[in-house]
Amino acid sequence: MRRSTIATGLVLAGLAGLIFFEASRLTFGSIRVPRTGFFPSILAILLLFFSIALLVQTRRQPDSESREEPIKSDAWIRISATLATMLGFALVLETLGFLLSTFIVMLLLLRAIEPQKWSRVIALALVIALVSYFLFAWLLNVPLPAGILEI
Amino acid sequence: MDLLANVALGFSVALTPANLMFCFLGSVVGTLVGVLPGLGPVGAVAFLLSLTFKMEPASAVIMLAGIYYGAMYGGSTTSILVNIPGETASVVTSLDGYRMARQGRAGAALGISAFGSFIAGTLGVIGLMCLAPLLGRAALSFGPPEYFALTVTGLTLVSYLSRGSMTKALIMTTLGLLAGTVGMDPISGEERFAYGILTLRDGLGLVPVAMGLFGIAEVLENLTTVGQHAIYETKIKGLLPNLKDWKNSLWPIARGSCLGFFLGILPGPGPVIASFVSYAVEKRVSRYPEKFGTGVIEGVAGPEAANNAATAGSFIPLLSLGIPTSAIMALFMGALMIHGIQPGPLFIVKYPELFWGFIASMYVGNAMLLVLNLPLIGIWVRLLKTPYIILFPLILLFCLIGVYSLNANVTEIIIMLIFGVLGFLFRQVGFEGAPFILAMVLGPIMETSLRQSLLISRGNFSIFFTRPICAVLMVLTAAFLVSPLVTAKRKR
Repeated sequence: MRRSTIATGLVLAGLAGLIFFEASRLTFGSIRVPRTGFFPSILAILLLFFSIALLVQTRRQPDSESREEPIKSDAWIRISATLATMLGFALVLETLGFLLSTFIVMLLLLRAIEPQKWSRVIALALVIALVSYFLFAWLLNVPLPAGILEI
Repeated sequence: MDLLANVALGFSVALTPANLMFCFLGSVVGTLVGVLPGLGPVGAVAFLLSLTFKMEPASAVIMLAGIYYGAMYGGSTTSILVNIPGETASVVTSLDGYRMARQGRAGAALGISAFGSFIAGTLGVIGLMCLAPLLGRAALSFGPPEYFALTVTGLTLVSYLSRGSMTKALIMTTLGLLAGTVGMDPISGEERFAYGILTLRDGLGLVPVAMGLFGIAEVLENLTTVGQHAIYETKIKGLLPNLKDWKNSLWPIARGSCLGFFLGILPGPGPVIASFVSYAVEKRVSRYPEKFGTGVIEGVAGPEAANNAATAGSFIPLLSLGIPTSAIMALFMGALMIHGIQPGPLFIVKYPELFWGFIASMYVGNAMLLVLNLPLIGIWVRLLKTPYIILFPLILLFCLIGVYSLNANVTEIIIMLIFGVLGFLFRQVGFEGAPFILAMVLGPIMETSLRQSLLISRGNFSIFFTRPICAVLMVLTAAFLVSPLVTAKRKR
């Protein structure tokens, strides 16, 4: 816990510096007439201050907090696979259309979260895709991309 | 007489068939969210926000409010029956509620929590009805310095009350304020931090960020512990508490309602804090404090009343000052603003049918939940057994569709995913998402009022300390910031 907190503090301090630099390229104005860059610059300084405070606090504290067990590697794989699948959905949604993308994304998500029989996964994904299409496109009237299936 | 006419107006809005349906829908979805541990009320409200765009503003608010207080009901059901609090406000309920269930008194615990919630919810609504217009009238005299001071105090208090380290909460607050500066400058309209990305020109969207931080991040976190949930079954006999139960619970419910209502008004996760404080109070005033934690009905009745009264109280600052005090209230503000309605001192005067309709719907919703919850408890428990391998992909899919349906914009899906990853990583190192989302919404209000104040005072910061309301708020802020340092020193 302690090491990751220190790492976070350092990253945040760096981020504060970056934001301050970016904010300094906007017009600051003056205290009398504050302009666009005024508020973000103040916030960047605050962020730097709080990050340093976090680092100081963490250094002072003895590492007594009993850390729960670290995340196992298979959990990391599950999480990455889930995220990759969702990113894929965003990328193909408008070309493949809602129905096809939903079917594929459910197929992969169901497998990513727990390995199970393909026949079951295909059936489930199909049902979920059709039901959600009915729910969103028909009942709720949400405009959804038609894509190559043109429905 | 004015009040009666207003209440009548409210019921005429709340009792239209469409609004009754939305109220029902909200309560059911809320109970569902409260029951299922995978998704909290913030994530659910964020998700449904995208579906409310095409609704009437009144229906939208009625449905979203239903989710909020429905989740409080639902959360207690699973706390008591299976010791899994569906959301944080019912963690305390499981202490004595689950013990009661193990002793075969699940019915009494569920019954008292439903009735207690109903009584407290109703009392809370009455309080809201009386207090919000008063505060709204007072707030009409507020200028930019007061608004700036209010946002500063609110955000500091939220950080002060946060569960983990205050420094971490303050960092999240600052990051949230920074996220709020993306897009157009609220005064001059100049572009900031958009880097040529079209979607960012209008600022980071509330819905994609909230769904990422609360929906996606929550599911990702659950994925790290997949397969570790064990559920015990309890039999439920007789849902009605007996006369002795009632006698023991009456005062805890009354105390819990008052405590909850006033704690709900303060910034921060009102219902959560209210339930903890109420438990502590009941334990202190009890003649047998040592029995708390072994299945005492007071330990269920008080906190359950408190968290429901707090939901009503937490609407007050938003509806009368236009300042949200928690992540959920920030989303409500978003829902109103999408319809072009600015919550604030003029809200009640300008939109009486919306305000009173909303109030009336909360009475109706509380009654619905009472009817809904008691007979349907069996169904809710069965739902809890929905395998996570179906539940999690479904939640993720709904997040994807929900965000896309907002503006048919793929970039917003990507923003949601980025904040999902960030939210997950932040949770791993003990940073909470709630201060971030609240700060992001308050950011523009804070910046505008700060810059306007400085324009008025010609760059003199004393404007924040010489006006009486500002001075009080600033002293409070300083106290919240300094007190953790003092207690830390004393410990050493």
